Amino acid sequence: MFYVLAILWHERQRFLPGVLAVAFSALLIALQCGLLLGLFSVTSIPVDRSAADIWIGAPHVLGVDLGRPIPGRFFSRLASQPEVEPPEYYLQGFNYWTKPGGGSQLCMIIGGRLRDGTLGMLRVLPRELREQLTEPNSVVIDKADMVRMGIRKVGDTADIMGNKVRVVGFAERQPSFAGPYVFCSIRTARPLLQMLPDQTTYVLARCKNPDDAQAVVDRLRRYDDMTVFTTAEFSLRTRMHWLTTTKAGIALGYTAVLGLLVGAVVTSQTLYSATASSFREYATLEALGIPRFRIAWLVLTQAFWIGILGVLLALPVTLGLALVAELLSVHVLLPLWLLGGAGGITLIMAFLAGLGALRSLRFIDVYSLLR
Amino acid sequence: MERGELTLKGRNLVRTFGKGKNEITAVNDVSLELYRGKVSMLMGPSGSGKSTLLAILSGLLPPNKGDVIALGRNLWEMSEFQRRRFRQQNYGFIFQGFNLLPALNARQQLEIVLRWGEGASAREARQRSEEMLDLLGLEQKHHLLPEELSGGEKQRVAIGRALIKKPSYCFADEPTSALGWEHGKQVVELLTEAAHRQEATVLIVAHDPRIVPYMDRVWNLRDGCLAEANGDGEPTV
Repeated sequence: MFYVLAILWHERQRFLPGVLAVAFSALLIALQCGLLLGLFSVTSIPVDRSAADIWIGAPHVLGVDLGRPIPGRFFSRLASQPEVEPPEYYLQGFNYWTKPGGGSQLCMIIGGRLRDGTLGMLRVLPRELREQLTEPNSVVIDKADMVRMGIRKVGDTADIMGNKVRVVGFAERQPSFAGPYVFCSIRTARPLLQMLPDQTTYVLARCKNPDDAQAVVDRLRRYDDMTVFTTAEFSLRTRMHWLTTTKAGIALGYTAVLGLLVGAVVTSQTLYSATASSFREYATLEALGIPRFRIAWLVLTQAFWIGILGVLLALPVTLGLALVAELLSVHVLLPLWLLGGAGGITLIMAFLAGLGALRSLRFIDVYSLLR
Repeated sequence: MERGELTLKGRNLVRTFGKGKNEITAVNDVSLELYRGKVSMLMGPSGSGKSTLLAILSGLLPPNKGDVIALGRNLWEMSEFQRRRFRQQNYGFIFQGFNLLPALNARQQLEIVLRWGEGASAREARQRSEEMLDLLGLEQKHHLLPEELSGGEKQRVAIGRALIKKPSYCFADEPTSALGWEHGKQVVELLTEAAHRQEATVLIVAHDPRIVPYMDRVWNLRDGCLAEANGDGEPTV
């Protein structure tokens, strides 16, 4: 190991492109996947930022933003479960927001209970804002969405399907995916979503003990006129739906594979040329009794260390770039498993590049030293 | 000359290159015998076939005809794997171009042969390497990289590297040609001393007649034909 490190350090100029190529690959994989996770984590924000443990929705619902009206009587199915606290209605759906100055924008209407302890996403609003939403036809939007919704100040009005709504305040840091959020009371939301008084989009409940959620969900799955999820299941289902429907995952995955290929080729070529240029020294070692497999092992160990150094270099750069992205309001999620996975895949790539570089060992010919 | 145990015998060796009109005979029906603890020299002008004969005797290049018997075994009747193994276990080489690993210091150049070639422990490899470098007059140079050593010192490290595993044979190809005579003389003296001490069979290929007096036996090769030489390096026949 020492000899390998000594050679790497002494020939650092030669090995640098390999280290940079590995770092580039690891960076690309981690950032692409982080962007993807970040992007699609936005789709499930209404689920993730709720306080519910159990969600009841329409049959075969694909994601939280694609819910359909269900009868309010499903409420009692959940309420009758001994493990759950009193459930509540939660309305969510798309509609068009007609801006005060003209033009329209697809928006996501979210209606829920306004009291403290509400389970739906309205819990992210401060109490004062929720109290203001008790006024009929009042809504709250995110500050970051003001421009695209044509709103300049509190008190501005807009139109949703012929219903005039008034903006009574602004939420902060509630990023949305397909359309900006419009928070309101259940009473305000029903006409905006064209729902009947006894309809809802979801029924939410919290368990006295969150560990019981799965058992309650399993029990309620006997009803085929509704779908029941734990919060984690519904969050994952929502993300996976958008991931597969938009094919963005495939596109980003494709570029990540491309980065991996570039890294593999550059690393392999670096090792190949480093080995080929040292063939006289290696041939001498072979002449002196060092078996060929030792020299092959030397090349593979070099590949391994190039991989390690590349990954170590990529880590701070990835975290730095993710920070820059966050500053630009682009959400990048870099969980440990993703960083570990990207590092692992890149190390395997470096090792395979080392295997590819072994073809340079054919240059090792002791007889050539006598010519 | 007092002869020791016969350790290497080349019989009727022939080696040609090219075909038809372009065929060149580099080694033409050469027979020679080398003895344990003796340093022999193969001299001759450039293109005389010295290096080709060295390659045949050291198991690196097959002859068209003839046998090489080393330690009682016919080298060219072994499989490639057996020959490589035999070479690794019994042969040491010194090349014209030193070929030291630029990243390793003088001691590590020797250690790597013991550790990777023999599987010696780090401690044993270090101790043996230091002893060998001391014998070669490099007491103060253990820690220096090749780029910090003079040409003569580099060749001494190369000699140490070739002899560190106590090989039965040592083949040296033009070991002094890259050195001035002062360094060249030292290298030859050290090589012969070490060979005598280790009882190795040594064959040096060179064209410098100034090293002839240090040799136990001198062969002269001209146009692929071998003749034993006198003290001036001239053929006796």
